[in-house]
Amino acid sequence: MSQMMAVPVSYYVGLSAVIFFIGVAGVLVRRNPLIMLMSIELMFNAANLLFMAFARAWLHNAGHIFAFLVITVAAAEAAIGLAIVVTVFRSAKHVDVDDVALMKG
Amino acid sequence: MIAFWILAVIMLGSAIWCISASKPVYSVVALLLHFAALAAMYLTLNAEFLAVIQLIVYSGAILILFLFVIALLSSGVASFSVGPNRLPRIAIPAIVLIALALGFFTYAMGHAGAVVPAAQAGSPLGPVGTADVFGSVNDFGKALFTSYLLPFEITALLLMVAVIGVILLAGDHAPYVATRKHAAEVRREMREAILREGRQ
Amino acid sequence: MTHHVMGVDGSYPLLLVLWLLPLAGAILAWAFGPQLKTAAGWICSALVGISFICAVAMWGPGTQSVSGALGAHQALFSWLPGFDFGLLMDPLSLLWTLIITGVGFLIHLYSIGYMDGDRAFARFFAYMNFFVFAMLTLVLSDNFVGLLVGWGLVGLASYFLIGFWFFKPSAVAAARKAFVINVAGDVGIMFAIFMIVASVHSTAFGDAFAFAGSYNSGWLLAICVCLFIGAAAKSAQIPLHTWLPDAMEGPTPVSALIHAATMVTAGVYLVARCAPLWSQNHDAQMLVGTIGALTAIAGAILGCAQWDIKRILAYSTMSQIGYMIMGVGVGAYEGGVAHFFTHAFFKAQLFLGSGLIIHALNNEQDVRRMGGLMKKMPFAFIAMLTGVIAISGIPFLGAGFFSKDLVIQGALEHGHPYLYAVGIITAGITAYYMCRLLFVTFFGSYRGDVDPSELGIRHPELAGTPAHGADQAEAEHEGSGHGQAHHAPAWIMNVPVAILIVPTVLIGWLMFGGDNSPWAHFFAQQFPHPQLSPAPIGEGVTGLITFGAVLVGIAVAWWRYATASAQSRAVERLRGESIRMPGILTHAYYFDLALDLLFVRTSQLFGTIFGRFFDPQIIDGAVRESAFSAQWLGTLVRSFQTGLLRAYALLLVVGVAAFMIYYAVIAGGVHP
Repeated sequence: MSQMMAVPVSYYVGLSAVIFFIGVAGVLVRRNPLIMLMSIELMFNAANLLFMAFARAWLHNAGHIFAFLVITVAAAEAAIGLAIVVTVFRSAKHVDVDDVALMKG
Repeated sequence: MIAFWILAVIMLGSAIWCISASKPVYSVVALLLHFAALAAMYLTLNAEFLAVIQLIVYSGAILILFLFVIALLSSGVASFSVGPNRLPRIAIPAIVLIALALGFFTYAMGHAGAVVPAAQAGSPLGPVGTADVFGSVNDFGKALFTSYLLPFEITALLLMVAVIGVILLAGDHAPYVATRKHAAEVRREMREAILREGRQ
Repeated sequence: MTHHVMGVDGSYPLLLVLWLLPLAGAILAWAFGPQLKTAAGWICSALVGISFICAVAMWGPGTQSVSGALGAHQALFSWLPGFDFGLLMDPLSLLWTLIITGVGFLIHLYSIGYMDGDRAFARFFAYMNFFVFAMLTLVLSDNFVGLLVGWGLVGLASYFLIGFWFFKPSAVAAARKAFVINVAGDVGIMFAIFMIVASVHSTAFGDAFAFAGSYNSGWLLAICVCLFIGAAAKSAQIPLHTWLPDAMEGPTPVSALIHAATMVTAGVYLVARCAPLWSQNHDAQMLVGTIGALTAIAGAILGCAQWDIKRILAYSTMSQIGYMIMGVGVGAYEGGVAHFFTHAFFKAQLFLGSGLIIHALNNEQDVRRMGGLMKKMPFAFIAMLTGVIAISGIPFLGAGFFSKDLVIQGALEHGHPYLYAVGIITAGITAYYMCRLLFVTFFGSYRGDVDPSELGIRHPELAGTPAHGADQAEAEHEGSGHGQAHHAPAWIMNVPVAILIVPTVLIGWLMFGGDNSPWAHFFAQQFPHPQLSPAPIGEGVTGLITFGAVLVGIAVAWWRYATASAQSRAVERLRGESIRMPGILTHAYYFDLALDLLFVRTSQLFGTIFGRFFDPQIIDGAVRESAFSAQWLGTLVRSFQTGLLRAYALLLVVGVAAFMIYYAVIAGGVHP
């Protein structure tokens, strides 16, 4: 395989941006905390995709390391987030983040 | 190129399915598909270790965790109920703004010259799966346990904190987190308690 | 900086004792008044008497002179490094101490009789002793701050005593007026102290005077003027004199002690004490001398127009203090202080004598309703006669002649011929109105049973004279009335008057003999003695001229009030004089009105402006607006705190988007 990539790096940037936007929209629009958490995972992965693409373009494995760290953080985040969801909605009939508004000023 | 397009279409489609599914379980399935396609795309980018990690950690661990939670909550599998939408009105313009911003960003990135420092190149590029080439487990491991040892150790700490946090949050002695309905009750009880105190 | 202590440093327990005894008496009478009853009067009088004995015993240390240091200095305590408090007794303060405690003792004794039966008997003596303590603090302090403390305390004591009969609205008003004007003077002294500290970094007299020659002349003038504002307020000099006639609302012994003999002469003391400062500035001397002369003649003229016996004496006090101020102002310090000395005796004598009359006539103070008292009260007549002779300055028969002569001659010697002339004219007017008082009161026939309107008394209940027993305070003081001339004064009231007759007649001889007199020797080292060119008119000639003016005054008074025809038609003549009295005199040159317009009304105007507009609109408005804006801001910020997780996320994302647009469009645009 040659040093050059078959696909230009800007394609990856575009794809990543679109997936990231889908994640943002998911967080903002959905009220189910589980789906919000999944949307956050989508955003993480969009970022990871960029790391991979640029690591490949520059042949530098720092991108891989960062992606690895992001996956770790994502795992921790998912665990904590899900624990909160379980705690808050253990007895609720519906899971709706808008019901949790104790911090209203 | 063809692989990229196929995988890109799968990823976009599954992502949209994920956020628009009516039941959380469907979302998990869509996400699983998305992650699988992403792992494949990692392979095309010579990142074999990350591709494997993606499958094992994300698909194998995190998504299963999601499934567990869905199963745990009685309402998890129920279809999404529509209560009053309390999102501020600026949400739609904001989403448009974000889309615009991302568009600009992408455009700018696409037109930015790839500024690659010449001395950056590490291991040579070889076929996926070959040892001692870029993206191989060997290459990745060397970098992780030499240059990036400290971040790796910090990761361990982070995971431990997360574990303790989860035990605290979801354990038997979980702190009481009131929902809106509970809060009203708590407030009423407090008011009555204060009134009782005042009368005495 | 080395410290300049005046007086020989040492330990003088007697000085402390004489200073603190009256305070002890005041505290005793205050705390145990109801238990002590009339004993309070005897105890307080005795304490002041002991103070007097101590003061006499301090004569030796007080007049000693060791290598330039004059008198006795007792250090007390240090306020700040370089700011020490102490007591200083030199001839000047010794003289004042003797008068305060000596005359004060006699007046205390007299008060035992005068205040007999008053329900606040002990309180009266507590105030009197407190006054003596305050006055001693004033004259014994060795620095300006201590002087100011005493200065303020005597003002406070004066306030207490003028308003002693606090159920009389007029007494309360008079007390307040006196206090406010005196505080205005205190502020003047305070500013003088600031300026002195700025110059010499010390408040001690010694330091302030040691560098008297090094002051900037404008600065020194400012210090002197500020000091004199205090002196003028305390000593009732124009234009701050208006409180003194009103202060006669207090009991007569108070008028005698505070508002004639001692407190009102504090201004004379201050100027004499600060002689080293005044001697350095001719403008300040000119100002003080002129104001003194103005006050002397203005007070004398007003004295001719009064009918209230105590107000006549009040204006005569103002006039005589004008003499003293003129004397110390022009630089004739011995003269001014001498006049203080003799005045203390004869004015106390006059007040106590008038107190005998007032007491006997059931608190009648209007001389028009007296008359013919010579036969009824021969002792009071003798007392008043000696006082009148002394104040009028009849040669060799009364003390006032010698001291007044010193002042008038001093004005000429120090190069002030106009003040000299004013002094002589005032002497004539003084003789006139004092003889008028004497003749109207004691000659002719008794007019107490004449209808007041026949005498030209229009509104007896409003005239400030307690006719017809309308005065609740005095009535209460007396108990039930017994009709006219009921009170044969007790011996306790007569004895002090009898004692005072002696110095009133004789004390002036101390000043006889020019530079060789005991008086001149006593003060030889106290005051600066500049070399003066001999005056164009000798002292003997001055005495003759003054005597001429005095004789004219007496003759006019005789012609108007004491001739046989005047006495037979006394009622109509008094009525005519009352009715024709010019308004400018009955209103005391409208000073009260002017002060009212200048200060009271303007202050009220400012008060109204601030009260109606500035305070509610600007101060309160600012507070209100800041409260409202804080509230508004709080509401605004609170509206972001929706508690909705997704709203927070939205805001976060908007922020991120803004950053991205910034980098993509602006930062990215630089490197396309």
